[in-house]
Amino acid sequence: MSLEQRELRLGFIPLTDCAPLAAARELGFFEAEGLSVTLSREASWANIRDKVAMGALDGAHMLGPLPLAVSLGVSGQAAPMVAPLALNQHGAAITVSTELAEAMRALDPQAMAARPCTAAPLKALIDKRRAEGAPPLIFAVVFPFSSHNYLLRYWMAAAGIDPDRDVQVVVVPPPRMNARLAAGEIDGFCAGAPWNDAAVAAGGAEILVHAAEIWRCGADKVLGLRADWARDKPLTLRALLRALLKAGAWCDSPEGRAELPELLAGGAYLDVPSPVVARALGQGEEAIVFHRFAASFPWRSHAVWFLTQMRRWGQIGADIDIPAAAEAVYRPDLYRAAAAEAGVPAPLVDEKVDGLHAGDWTLDEATAPIAMGPDLFFDGRAFDAAQPDRYLAGFEIARR
Amino acid sequence: MRVLIIDPDEARAALVAEGLSEVDPLEVTRAPSFEAIEADLARLSPDVIVIACESPDRDTLESLKEASQANPRPVVMFVDRSTPGLAEAAVTAGVAAYVVDGLAPGRVRPVLEVAMSRFAVMQQMRADLEKARADLASRKTIERAKGLLMKARGLDEDAAYRALRKLAMDNGRPLAAVAADLIAFAGVLKGDDT
Repeated sequence: MSLEQRELRLGFIPLTDCAPLAAARELGFFEAEGLSVTLSREASWANIRDKVAMGALDGAHMLGPLPLAVSLGVSGQAAPMVAPLALNQHGAAITVSTELAEAMRALDPQAMAARPCTAAPLKALIDKRRAEGAPPLIFAVVFPFSSHNYLLRYWMAAAGIDPDRDVQVVVVPPPRMNARLAAGEIDGFCAGAPWNDAAVAAGGAEILVHAAEIWRCGADKVLGLRADWARDKPLTLRALLRALLKAGAWCDSPEGRAELPELLAGGAYLDVPSPVVARALGQGEEAIVFHRFAASFPWRSHAVWFLTQMRRWGQIGADIDIPAAAEAVYRPDLYRAAAAEAGVPAPLVDEKVDGLHAGDWTLDEATAPIAMGPDLFFDGRAFDAAQPDRYLAGFEIARR
Repeated sequence: MRVLIIDPDEARAALVAEGLSEVDPLEVTRAPSFEAIEADLARLSPDVIVIACESPDRDTLESLKEASQANPRPVVMFVDRSTPGLAEAAVTAGVAAYVVDGLAPGRVRPVLEVAMSRFAVMQQMRADLEKARADLASRKTIERAKGLLMKARGLDEDAAYRALRKLAMDNGRPLAAVAADLIAFAGVLKGDDT
């Protein structure tokens, strides 16, 4: 059968986790599926959102919470969207100015040396600054509906910092984080790779904690598409997903790891020197994962986690049916259809409980057993998507 | 009505501002980026912010709604949900608008329409300029390739041009591309790559 559409326009933001899209384009995975894909580098998540919603792009590299927020009508004009594939795990980090890190270290050197670094020294500093009448510290995230915003808030709140009252959280585009940090306009930020390592390379910044340390194998970016597009073009969608699954596997292969820095460094993608891109791909536990550990599977439980954080911070009300919203947007069924054709093992369950596995484990409820990574949260909590209300009730700091 | 235009392309921002002066008595402020105007935002208190889509500031602008608790500012939203097609056309034209909540959609529309048409004018001008440059460059390439053929094969100018055109037609490729290849190959034969 022939594809409904051969020529696609896909959007991306200059971040390391656009790698599966870049690799599929540069190594011919799209072509092998009969697709001719133009990648469009976009300046903002709002552009990505609006262009996909309005059909100027067929799909895009998206923040995991974005298709949920757009579908619910809380970001831009409401438009039903789907996420049939995740693009990565890990890569984000919380980076602060050297000045802030030193001030935190002076108050609590032990906690600053511990791994993972908690926000306890930051809490101590905030209390001290308040007593001195100093203005609140300013932290930047990349978008209100982002894993970065939620991870930063989760990390702070675990130490008793209320991110809405004790600090100021602002939005800054990832490529500008470093300049604003250097100018002293922000004190820290949470953003994706390679921008944390780029700030460190430029001097005057320090990475405090990686996303992988806050939530191992946690949710990050997805492929987002309009729901009607996905419904009307099932063959094209499957071809697109097959290409991205193969590209993701290549990105995780030794060959891919070796070649990605050069591939992504150029002006067409990140426009960041390749040694910085290489460092930001990470090593060992903190490495960005594209394919292993079922990293490309759009876990419905991840959608539920994002939605619980949206409610926790007052972005959505208690009237939103969280399981229904997750089910409409995150589409493991679409993933499985494409994975079967691509010969990639796929989970047979839509949800998993996170925070239970301290080491590697095997997911047997899959078309073939899948080697999985640890999934702990740094504060030891477990997350069961079947009980979002109970999970939310467990947080002391929340808007409700 | 107070309009703030954020566009890194100053010439285009000027063009939009000029167009708006005809629409209505408006107070127009221009800025190359949101950062450049951020400190003055409360004083300016714009009713409409028109922003170029290629500017990375849209995400920051959208978050103002979230930050309004800590720092009171106008509530902004993407333009006019009541007019179907307007937002699509605007984004396609490369411009987005943020509007203070409660402003009548009818008042925003002419502003956005001016911005869209001025953006289109600028885009056309840029495209024309680019094409003129490309045409000039390809004419120079063809001249050079012709020169190489004349020298290597002892052809006159017409014959060299015909040979080049035949090569292009046989390969189904543009004349300038074939000429560029020929120059590159000639370079390799002469050993320019070492």
